Amino acid sequence: MAKVMVSMPEALLAEVDAEARRIGSTRSAVLRGFADEALRRRRGDRAAAMRTVLREASPHGGNAAEQVKATRP
Amino acid sequence: MSTLLLDASVVLAAFDSEDKRHDAAHALLVDRAVTLATLDLARYEAANVAVRAWSAPDAVAPLLAALERIAGDGGVVPSTQALLARASELAEEHTISVYDAAYVAAAEEAERVLVSCDERDLVSKRLAVFPETVTK
Repeated sequence: MAKVMVSMPEALLAEVDAEARRIGSTRSAVLRGFADEALRRRRGDRAAAMRTVLREASPHGGNAAEQVKATRP
Repeated sequence: MSTLLLDASVVLAAFDSEDKRHDAAHALLVDRAVTLATLDLARYEAANVAVRAWSAPDAVAPLLAALERIAGDGGVVPSTQALLARASELAEEHTISVYDAAYVAAAEEAERVLVSCDERDLVSKRLAVFPETVTK
């Protein structure tokens, strides 16, 4: 696992440490968990929104890659 | 977990039910396990195909909406002077267009995997992978 140095306000770090104490874990584990949760939520939001916009899919003849090249200026 | 950089062909294939990579492209766009990013060029290319090739200007809005969702996930890489300089080198090296090379450069700069439906110029040259390669 990579080691990193992270700068953050002392008040925020105090909250991270309090959370670590509360769940009996480490500062590193709490920060990993927060980062993982934030990225997971962001991917989930994108996936859910994408399901909605992809309802607009319809037949257009296929061969997207060639169509991109053919319509470039 | 990885960040994938999609070119315009993947987004277009997901919206074209007749594309042979439609199912894989669709599956990738709704995959919660990966972070998706793209290049700003994709907005122009997707809109251009909708209007010029599909003759479907109504398709522009949903295509751009999909690209905005990608922007909110892994982001949209801007075509900076440095990126286009690197793209020009890659275009010369691999005998591809600067357009295609810009995607390669965008993927390279942040160690992302480039995903494309372009077999001839990108996948066959191992510069990108097909959507079905990275979907579960």
